[in-house]
Amino acid sequence: MSVRDFLLTREGLHSWLSRLARDYPLIAPVEEEKGVITFKQVGGPQEIVFDCAPSTLPPKEWFLPSTEELFAFSTAGGGITLQEPPGPKERVLFGLHPCDVRALLALDPVFGGTYPDPYYLGRRKATIIVALSCTKPGPYCFCPAVGGDPVVAAGADLLLTESGSSFAVKAMTSRGEEIIQRYPGHFAPDEEGRGERARQELAGQLAGMFAFLPDLRGVKEFLDGHFELPYWEEVASRCLGCGICTYTCPTCHCFDIFDQSWDGARGLRARCWDSCMFSQFTRMAGGHNPRPTQKERVRNRFLHKLKYHQDRYGLGGCVGCGRCVAKCPVNIDIRRIIGDLKELASHG
Amino acid sequence: MRETARQLLREREVGLVIGYAAGSEAYWVTPAFIKEEAQADRLVWNPFCVNSLAKYLINYHHEPYKVAVVVKGCDSRALVRLLQDNQVQREKVVVIGIPCLGVVDAKAAALKIAPGTRILGASVTDGEFLLQTESGTLSLPRGEALCAKCRYCENPTPVLADTLLAEEVAAEPAANIYAEVREVESWPREKRSAFWDGHFQRCLRCYACRNICPACTCRECVFDQTDPCWVAKAHNLSENTAFHLIRAMHVAGRCVDCGECERACPVNIPLRLLNQKVIKDIKELFGVSTPGSRLDEMPALGMFATEDPDEFN
Amino acid sequence: MDNPLKPYPATIVKITDETPDVKTFQIVFDDPGVWDHFRHKPGQVAQISVFGVGEATISITSSPTRKGLLEFSVKRVGLLTGALHQLEAGSKVGIRGPLGNHFPYEEMKGSDLLFIGGGIGLAPLRALIDFVLDGENRSHYGQVEIIYGARSAADLCFKDDLFNRWPHMPGTKVYLTIDRPEEGWNGHVGFVPSYLEEISPSPRNRFAITCGPPVMIKFVLSALQKLGFPDERIITTLEMKMKCGVGKCGRCNIGSKFVCVDGPVFYLSQLKELPPEF
Ligand SMILES: Cc1cc2nc3c(=O)[nH]c(=O)nc-3n(C[C@H](O)[C@H](O)[C@H](O)COP(=O)(O)OP(=O)(O)OC[C@H]3O[C@@H](n4cnc5c(N)ncnc54)[C@H](O)[C@@H]3O)c2cc1C
Ligand code: SF4
Ligand code: SF4
Ligand code: SF4
Ligand code: SF4
Ligand code: SF4
Ligand code: FES
Repeated sequence: MSVRDFLLTREGLHSWLSRLARDYPLIAPVEEEKGVITFKQVGGPQEIVFDCAPSTLPPKEWFLPSTEELFAFSTAGGGITLQEPPGPKERVLFGLHPCDVRALLALDPVFGGTYPDPYYLGRRKATIIVALSCTKPGPYCFCPAVGGDPVVAAGADLLLTESGSSFAVKAMTSRGEEIIQRYPGHFAPDEEGRGERARQELAGQLAGMFAFLPDLRGVKEFLDGHFELPYWEEVASRCLGCGICTYTCPTCHCFDIFDQSWDGARGLRARCWDSCMFSQFTRMAGGHNPRPTQKERVRNRFLHKLKYHQDRYGLGGCVGCGRCVAKCPVNIDIRRIIGDLKELASHG
Repeated sequence: MRETARQLLREREVGLVIGYAAGSEAYWVTPAFIKEEAQADRLVWNPFCVNSLAKYLINYHHEPYKVAVVVKGCDSRALVRLLQDNQVQREKVVVIGIPCLGVVDAKAAALKIAPGTRILGASVTDGEFLLQTESGTLSLPRGEALCAKCRYCENPTPVLADTLLAEEVAAEPAANIYAEVREVESWPREKRSAFWDGHFQRCLRCYACRNICPACTCRECVFDQTDPCWVAKAHNLSENTAFHLIRAMHVAGRCVDCGECERACPVNIPLRLLNQKVIKDIKELFGVSTPGSRLDEMPALGMFATEDPDEFN
Repeated sequence: MDNPLKPYPATIVKITDETPDVKTFQIVFDDPGVWDHFRHKPGQVAQISVFGVGEATISITSSPTRKGLLEFSVKRVGLLTGALHQLEAGSKVGIRGPLGNHFPYEEMKGSDLLFIGGGIGLAPLRALIDFVLDGENRSHYGQVEIIYGARSAADLCFKDDLFNRWPHMPGTKVYLTIDRPEEGWNGHVGFVPSYLEEISPSPRNRFAITCGPPVMIKFVLSALQKLGFPDERIITTLEMKMKCGVGKCGRCNIGSKFVCVDGPVFYLSQLKELPPEF
């Protein structure tokens, strides 16, 4: 088996990133505005934010853009022609945290399956993922509570772990190995297992650093048997239905489809993010709405995160990134919700 | 406050008290909907009670009972706004007013207070917020921690209240209230334009700013009217800009400057700056006060359609 | 379907007025090669596009045994259905599908079939009715009974089938009812569920398949249970707001199920497992 572990000095990382930025579109976390970290294409390492707390918005935008053209249509000449936009070029997405990679794994079966979605899957295929182990959890992170691992990002092509003055690099896929081979001279083989030790050490350090880890055991089983709970009314009375929690969530995938035409003869069909927290989301022609009040909507969101996604795909619907916690304007905190459900489960 | 709530509920004066309960972090509170006397112990008042609770009253419009709501000075303007719009009936609300020494900006506080910290008590002095925690007293300098909207507060004491829970607080002279607006006004057009483009392109069109706004109360919002509508949800600079200008115009003359939209915005768009520009211009044009600050003054504009925001673009 | 969100270009070849607000559209694909992979089964749906307006989920009402064309019966209720009603023969549309699951026609072999429809709800049933009545399929199924009602005589869809075709097919009976008496109507008057109880079909070796407005379905389901039909032999279709039709846009879920891919056809036994959120 070929060597899969390498070491990279800090300077080596910077020069490698500069090369990457020249050879590929390089997408990485940047501070777009004071306190707002988002994934943007960068010109080089100097723009990148290496800090650990998760970005304000998840990298989801690069796979499921907030608005994207599905095809252009034209009825010129009596017929009808549909033209899809070109697929993306190969690109490198750098600096995802393990939770963000896990979120992509949770989205994959949604966009794969019986009806593969060429837009999402095309972007997935075109993207080389370089993940970064967390060295310090963000204030609202709780990935270990939902089965996540803040150090090892299964699903990434390359995993970088900061260790003293250098970085341990692990090729997690053959694509990751190829990338390393493409840049000889940057990576030194790690023959003494330093990377593995560094990752284990970091995992040990991180274990005690999470401020609040809700206990998820038994919560899904409780929800399986309890759809109707007065508790949801209490949560819903606070909720503004603003959708921030879903727009900032790396695993939310809901979208709306709509047409835009200027003259009827040509136009676009596009999709854009939508949210189950919005009142219009399920309202049908004639006004019937199966989720008529915020209570049903709030319940849908939490059940999707904690139960439905698990039922459907065998994967957790929440990766514990804490973004919804950070941003909800009325402090509806999924960590607390889990705790409250746990309480309800044990006390009835 | 707990005693007031208990009494109101006990005497069946109201069926519900809307106040604040402790949040999941020291620097957050969460709205609390108290229906039973025994639950009143959940209520808190501390310098983190930044949310405006007035808009929740609309959800209880059709209930037979009266609702008590806790309001700070700025929140009382929102309440006046809702009353003037007939969104809320005066005889169905009991207003618990809290004269306010300013609240803390949670984003600033989050940098200073470790996650998981429990707050045992809090006090406010001229220069700092003092927080008693399990591991001792923590001081947040007022200059750093105070919410932007509190820096030049026009109404620290609620303009409308059935009971006041503390001594009235006098407003400090607010000469500089529009300093930031003036600063942006002084920029050359290109700079202003780049400034707003930079912010607007970030907008997610989540509409949190609308949902939280006490002046946005249309039953069918223009942004929702046609379901499959580009302007409704598409996310790009020109549509975002259109959204922001329409929003600013729709709340013109009605925005009470509570700062809630800016607080809610997940991507830190300086919405308050835009609103303040409009408020300032209307004040200059019509010689009125900040909307909601005077019970006897109806909004200056039933309909507002000047080209002013273009100047700001 | 290499891109499940991209419709096949198609042309409306014929439009029939069924009722004042329902029209049936006969549609053919512009590229005949599409038929090779568009193999629908009774009960499946398609998304019809009017380009520039959008899409709507519509049941394929023609049986797969009728090759070379698709039929859709559309009630005018909103934006897209309104736009469709404006179109004329020769207009271009788009078709995405076939989508969703289908009626369990294999499992139904050897049984009698009871169809209970209301209003536009006959559209999905019609695909299965014609499927079992067509050609050699007929021999695999027992008695076919159809109970169908609408608000008024004018609101009955598929009048040609109801009056001229189905009653004349071997082993087939059609029972019609309208909500209120009206001049010129000699048939039964009353709501579908009570007519069903009057007719009182035996549950022995029989499947009941129902589709119609939500209230009708609700009462029909309880009437069928009263008549002794087991939950595994009561079949209905559900309606939820849909956009993608392929399990991605997230809005048509009832609990962990997506109506667009796990439905629209459900056994009553399955419905009872779902949270009551539809
Ligand atoms: C499985 C299934 C089968 C159906 N079969 C038929 C049929 O055979 N004939 C028929 O006339 N109607 C059928 N419908 C209902 C039809 O889809 C809606 O009436 C139609 O989508 C309304 O679209 P609109 O643009 O005219 O209305 P608008 O109110 O303008 O709709 C706006 C959007 O909401 C969605 N929507 C609204 N109401 C519904 C609804 N009831 N169901 C699904 N999506 C909705 C649509 O995606 C539409 O784009 C079916 C619905 C489902 C779910
Ligand atoms: S962010 Fe909070 S208030 Fe907004 S929809 Fe989500 S839970 Fe409700
Ligand atoms: S639900 Fe909240 S914590 Fe969980 S993945 Fe989504 S944003 Fe992160
Ligand atoms: S249903 Fe709601 S919670 Fe689930 S992915 Fe969609 S928006 Fe997110
Ligand atoms: S949730 Fe876990 S993986 Fe994600 S940023 Fe926080 S610590 Fe890292
Ligand atoms: S809250 Fe912020 S991101 Fe959301 S719509 Fe308003 S300005 Fe845009
Ligand atoms: S219609 Fe999109 S998930 Fe069912």
